[in-house]
Amino acid sequence: MSTPSVVIDNVSKRFRIGAMRPDYATLRERIAGAFRFRKEDPETREIWALRDVSFQIEQGEALGLIGHNGAGKSTLLKILSRITEPTSGEAILHGRVASLLEVGTGFHPELTGRENIFLNGAILGMTRAEIRKNFDAIVAFAEIEKFLDTPVKRYSSGMYVRLAFAVAAHLTPEILLIDEVLAVGDIEFQRRCLGRMNEVARSGRTVVFVSHNLASIETLCRKAVLLAGGRVVEYGPAQEVIVRYLAARTATARMDLSAVERDGEGKARILSVELFDRDATAAIDVVEFRRPFRVRIGYEVHERLPNASFGLALLGRDGSRLFLSETYEVGRVFDLETGPASIDVAVVNPNVLPGVYHLELWISDAPGVSWTDHVRMVGNIEVVVGADTSRSIATLTSGMRGPMFVDTEWSAPRVR
Amino acid sequence: MTQARTLFIRPTSGWRSIDLAELWAYRELLYIFAWRDLKVRYRQTLLGAIWVMGQPLVTMLIFTLLFNRVAKLRSGTDVPYPVFVLGGILIWNFVSGSIGKTGNSLLGASYLISKVYFPRLAIPLSAVVSDIVDFAIAALLLIPMMIWYGVTPGPEILLSPFVVLLGGVMALGIGLWIAALNIEYRDVRVVIPWILQVAMYATPVVYPLSALPERYRKLAMLNPMSGVVEAFRATLFGTPVLIGPLVWSIVFAMLVVFGGAFYFRRVERRFADIL
Repeated sequence: MSTPSVVIDNVSKRFRIGAMRPDYATLRERIAGAFRFRKEDPETREIWALRDVSFQIEQGEALGLIGHNGAGKSTLLKILSRITEPTSGEAILHGRVASLLEVGTGFHPELTGRENIFLNGAILGMTRAEIRKNFDAIVAFAEIEKFLDTPVKRYSSGMYVRLAFAVAAHLTPEILLIDEVLAVGDIEFQRRCLGRMNEVARSGRTVVFVSHNLASIETLCRKAVLLAGGRVVEYGPAQEVIVRYLAARTATARMDLSAVERDGEGKARILSVELFDRDATAAIDVVEFRRPFRVRIGYEVHERLPNASFGLALLGRDGSRLFLSETYEVGRVFDLETGPASIDVAVVNPNVLPGVYHLELWISDAPGVSWTDHVRMVGNIEVVVGADTSRSIATLTSGMRGPMFVDTEWSAPRVR
Repeated sequence: MTQARTLFIRPTSGWRSIDLAELWAYRELLYIFAWRDLKVRYRQTLLGAIWVMGQPLVTMLIFTLLFNRVAKLRSGTDVPYPVFVLGGILIWNFVSGSIGKTGNSLLGASYLISKVYFPRLAIPLSAVVSDIVDFAIAALLLIPMMIWYGVTPGPEILLSPFVVLLGGVMALGIGLWIAALNIEYRDVRVVIPWILQVAMYATPVVYPLSALPERYRKLAMLNPMSGVVEAFRATLFGTPVLIGPLVWSIVFAMLVVFGGAFYFRRVERRFADIL
């Protein structure tokens, strides 16, 4: 049992940030640009999502991959899944690989449960014969017998996730890569999924498992790898790595500002951004869905600003603003003396769906006119489904929804 | 789906092979993508097949009125103009529709590309396959039309599937280029519908190639779609066909499909990072 099933050898991945600014990416501009003198785009920056990552996974071993947001976990899984290529290095996988980076990839709302089983199965790499063989087991696991011929758009979110996971649970690859998919569904279903994955790992298959749920990593995985800043910082028995991770957690709740987009005349500078729970009792690195949080902005004033205002916006992955808030809008304008200081902003009802978000922050001396300092795409704020969410919000992570989650009350108007 | 026992993941660069073997291994996925597109298309639209036929039918009526009655265009043979123009519309709609769909197919499947691995070529390929089915349904319209106007097809009609295939290959080839360019340059998708619209009038769809004055005819023959449209009508109605444009269409389709596939393979490694 000592043959490595996965060998990762010095894998690195570089992303270019800024080169793909949407306003640059038109053919028209590219052609026009060809006639100008070649000029390096100053906004282009490189970010190493992974740097010289090496480790091995034995056959039949379940390995947990943990780390903060932006540590490179998902990038590594994407490389192992062949979705994206490494910039350098090599990974060797012995055996059939299946990856599950999302529950219900490719599910089509218009198609029935039955049809989606075949569609999703094929997308995950099953043959039709395999799907047919496992069909009854999938349906039983998902408990959707009665709704097999109903379009999944009419499914409750719980049913949707159960069906999606049931298909995935019947994959029989030698190597299974799983990214944070257990964070959905109710507790009972989560337990069943864990049990199923335990079976998979016990049956001699290799499992690589990314999760924020440290408890499930601990039950499922014997070994774990801790990634930070794209590098392996710890590799060993799962419990030890988890302890190390928890110890390092508070230290890195501060977001990295070294590579963000920044502009403004610079009379003041934003120096640090940290994330806390609502009452600032503890630093956090992930935000639970619908749970208030607090952003602490540390800054330094170089020249007195008599009429300063602070602003914050939450950005989607593509940089689109989801909401913004500015102090001057609520009548709060500050007279800032030179020197370091900080300000807190509590986001009281962050009704955004689970996913990764960024911050945009600014200090302005002429509110609404210009920026003294302005940073965009700060941090990777991951909004995750909390353990104590009673509501069945399983499909929150499916691609079908918009970015918001809003409370609604439905009722039939009373007939007079 | 059979995969190599041992998988090596390494950075690649430059041109690489099309890897037809892998594409073949994933043929079921290709089939399922096409099946999904068709299923959804015919389920969502209440009248399904009727809609697919209604569009060319209405276009035929308008074109007949406009180009035949008003502009006095003729089919150039004894084939009645409505049947003649219907043949042109059907094949033109198929090819231009497929170009549009394959061109946008990657953007539409971005949620898959960033979540799961499969040969990316399966996406544009399945778009063309599902369009062939649409075309086959729409082409049924020819049967009542040809009976009504008393046009009897000859044995050449057996060659028509090959012409359709040629159109499909050409659409795939052009579509592959557009799909790959579309990922990097988002303005491409805005220009394509406009180009296709203009191209229809530069192609003998509403008029026969023979109706053009000599010097324009040479120019029109350079349009690779001329050969396809003319040949399709020739197989249906037994009208004479010029071999030159047809050969050029075949050569062009081959060039563009192989070139497109290689270019696509060259840039596909960046798709997941850009999308």
